[in-house]
Parts: sequence; C-alpha cells; structure tokens
Amino acid sequence: MIINKIDLKNFRLHKETKINFSKHLNYIVGGNGQGKTSLLESIYYLCTSKNLTQSKDLEVVSFSELYFNVVGNFSDLVNNNVRIFFNKEENKKSIFIDEKNIGRASTLIGNFPVVTLIPSNHLITQGAPSDRRKYFDSVISQASSTYLKILLDYNRTLKQRSSLLNQIKESKSKKLFDELNVWTESLVNQGSEIIEHRIKFLKIFQDYFQNSYKKIMDVLEIPTIEYSFLNNSVESNIKKAFVDELKKCESLEIVRGSNLVGPHKDDFIFNLNENELKKYGSQGQHKTFLIALRFGEFFYLKNIIGRTPIFLMDDIFGELDAFRANKISEYLKEIGQAFITLTDLSNFDYLANGNEDLIINIKNGQIINA
Amino acid sequence: MIIPSTLQKAIDELSKLPSIGRKSAQRLALHILKSELLEVQNLSKSILELKENTQICKNCFNISENEICDICKSEKRDKSIICVVEEISDVIAIEKTNEFNGLYHVLGGVLSPLSGKDADSLNLKELIARVKLENSTEVILALNPDTEGETTSLYIGRLLKTFNVKVSRLARGLPIGGDLEFADDATIGRAMLSRIQL
Repeated sequence: MIINKIDLKNFRLHKETKINFSKHLNYIVGGNGQGKTSLLESIYYLCTSKNLTQSKDLEVVSFSELYFNVVGNFSDLVNNNVRIFFNKEENKKSIFIDEKNIGRASTLIGNFPVVTLIPSNHLITQGAPSDRRKYFDSVISQASSTYLKILLDYNRTLKQRSSLLNQIKESKSKKLFDELNVWTESLVNQGSEIIEHRIKFLKIFQDYFQNSYKKIMDVLEIPTIEYSFLNNSVESNIKKAFVDELKKCESLEIVRGSNLVGPHKDDFIFNLNENELKKYGSQGQHKTFLIALRFGEFFYLKNIIGRTPIFLMDDIFGELDAFRANKISEYLKEIGQAFITLTDLSNFDYLANGNEDLIINIKNGQIINA
Repeated sequence: MIIPSTLQKAIDELSKLPSIGRKSAQRLALHILKSELLEVQNLSKSILELKENTQICKNCFNISENEICDICKSEKRDKSIICVVEEISDVIAIEKTNEFNGLYHVLGGVLSPLSGKDADSLNLKELIARVKLENSTEVILALNPDTEGETTSLYIGRLLKTFNVKVSRLARGLPIGGDLEFADDATIGRAMLSRIQL
C-alpha cells in the first residue's frame, strides 16, 4: 500500500500543506520544531484515526483555529481517499473513506496497516514488562481480532476479580469464596487462551524478527525472543500450571487485594547470543533490537494481513553508526514506502538516496521544496 | 430561551427514558402536544396500568398480571425444563422464537463485584428451591456471552452439580440468515472453535 499525496489543513504548524510523496523513501528534513513529526503524525491519523504520540486531538489543531482536516490518497489494488476531520468545538472526529462517513475507527484498522518507529519506543526494550506486553498485544491484535476480544474480556475479569478480592479482604465471608472460585475459573480459561495465542504468535514471529536482525546487522549475533509466562512455567499444560500458580498465591492475593498470577504479569525476554539484552546490551544493541522488532512486525503484518504497511520512522538515525544507518536505509528501500525524519541531511550522506526517493525540506510548517 | 414550564417538564421526564436524548424527548413532547386528547389519555393510562396492574411472578420473577405468571401457570409448558435468564427482556426475546416450551427463571442480574452484585442479590436460592420442588430434568443457562454472564453460568453450574439435573449453556456462533462474510471476525473465530460435527 502506498500513500500518494496528503493535504493538511490547520494541523499543528501546517496551516495549509500539500505534498506528493515518493513510492519509495521520503526523507523529511528540517530543524527542531519545524513540523517534521507532524507529517508522520498526520499519516498515522489517516491509517488509524488515532494519535501517534498519544497527544489529544485538541492539541493537534493549529492555534486559534477550530478544526483540522487531513486528506490522504492511498493506492493498493484500488485508490482510496481517506479524510479525518476534527471539530474542536464539538470535540468530535469524523472518518471518511471516499467521502463516506465510516463511523467507527475499527473499520480503518487493518485496512491501512502502518508500522512506526518513534523515540518513545525505546521503552519496548528498556522499559517494564508492561511496555513489552503492550507492544506484543498490539501486534497480535492487529492480526487477530479474536485475540483482541479475549484480551478485553480478560481485562474485565481482572477488574471484577480484584474487586472481589478486596471485598473478601474486608469480610472473609465463606459465600464470597464460592464466587471467587468461579471468577478464578474464568480467569484461567481466558488467561490460558491469551497465553496460547502468544506462544503461537511468537513461534511465527521469531523467524520474521531474526531475518530482519540478520539483514541490518550482518554479524553472527543471534537474537531471540522468549515468552516467560506464569512465573517462568515450563509446564505444557497451561491451565494446570495456571491453577498451580494461583494456589501458591491464594492468601497473598487476598492480603493484597489484587490479581498476582496470569498473562497480565508475563514478560517477553530479549536475548542476544543467550545474554539478556536488558542486563548486558549496549545502547546500540538496544536500538538495533528495536529496529529489528519493527521490521519483523512489518513483514509479519504484510504476510498476515496481505497488504504492505507504510513505515514511519521518527528521528532514529541520529544514534546509529553510519554502517548500520546505511544498511537500514537500503533495507527500507527494498520493502516499500517509508517516511524518515532527519534534522540535517548533509550529515547523512551514507543513507540510500536513489532517483525515485524524495527529500522534503520543511521550515515552520512550510514545504520549501518537494 | 423561554419555554412553557409544562412543556419543559414533559421534555425533562421523557429524556429520562433509555435511549431518548434531549432532541428526541422534545420531538415526542411536541408530538403528544399535537395529538388528540383521547390518544394522550390512552397513552398515559397504558403507562399507569403497566405499573399498577403488573407484579413480579413469585415463581420465576418474570413480569406478570397475577401472583403467578401465565407461563408458569400454563398447562402446555414443559415444567421439567428451566431456562435461566438475566432480565425480563431476555424472556421476551426467547419467547418470540417459539422454540422454547419450558419455564423461565429471571435472575435479576449477573455476578459483578465491581457493581456490588453478589450471589445473594440474585434470585439463586429460589432457583435451587425450584429445581428441587419441580423435579427439573434440565436447566438451560441463557446468560449474555460476556465475562460476567460466563462467570455466572460457571457459578450456577457448580451450585447445581449436586442435583440430578442436566445443565447446559446456549451455543455461541454465527447469526442465522446472515452472510458469513459480514459476521465480525471474533464471532467467526468463536464459531470456528465451537464447531459441531455433522
């Protein structure tokens, strides 16, 4: 899938910006605070109707304006015009495909796949287990709406169960324990399904990820992702392992009034040559690992959804050495359309830059040349 | 803005109704205002009667005009099967199908610790008493297929374990008469998992 052109109105610094994109690499070049990331943000809006950096829609509207409007022309098998319109006064966002209001955002998701690499993503390798779960949950959900459904049910069960645990902490009534037993059964049923989905996903994803890593690193480091569930359980019968772990924590769960066992506590461990990245990895290795994850995601989604995602990369070449940056830009070229922000192109003469690639110079929300 | 207070009051009352917003309430109020007096009297009478002439069936907690509802009283119904539902609206939904000829039992909710619904606040003791008294052979759990409904089904299943009664749950799957391609992915996924052998 390709985005051919974009038309922004009142979108942050972009009062009125129209750009025709290249089908290959699009370098967006400009100083700090000139509106580079906003361009990526606008493409992300078109693909998901959501904000790239979790800003509020209100904050995206240019100062003293009442709305923003983003129109993009996509082509895959057919051409589609996608338009996102946000009205500040009503705090209402409308999504149109070919000028038909589609109402729910979920219609958009999966149809216009997008893979992003932005500075806050460093949390995936360096942050807490919850950051990794959030990342993998979002990748699996994009490919499987069944997974998303179970995840939502499971989160609901967690809330109900912790509320009940708190009630038991207060009253210790025998009746409530009977209720706890059935909430535990629901927890185990749904939680085991989540764990099984994650195991199945990782089996497939591992290859995509390792291939990507090989491509950008060219060395013999072997990266692996390991899924650690139910306190490092090795039990093949997941339901049984789940029940066993729960038994161990039975009284503690009541004392704390919270759910202590389940896929909401799991982690994904990243290893390089069997050494844990989090403990032994250098900054550069973290970065490479993250980039390989995103490329793996790209190829995974491409295969599962059957459409080529658009790649958005914000400010990532700054921290990489010339060799790796060149590898990545060459790799990007192979796979399709990508958008890359840079502060100064002259420092990056080693990046791939072919005839069909485009350099967009941007200053204060204006395109200087494109 | 100046609106006669009688009209405003009617709009306010109407907008308390479920799925009626301010604008719909206003449209309804103006419609009633324009209607014949007799029409309006009939409407308000039927609303009043709904409240005054109905009660909750002592047996199954369905809506009824007498102490025991018409379904529980009927000679034609199979008294050995009880279908457990969450709300009265679910009885209406199942009755419309004409596929079920047993009795109902309205729970009046499902287990939900978050909203303070525990087992004692549901009509569960009464259900157990009925299973004993009516010598039921089967209890069908027709609760909503969400987390709370599923968990409540598990709970009731455990309660009834000691009785010699078959306990079943409604199947989950594709809607009838719909095209497979238009069903949402989660539904198709579920239907695939709980497929049945021919």
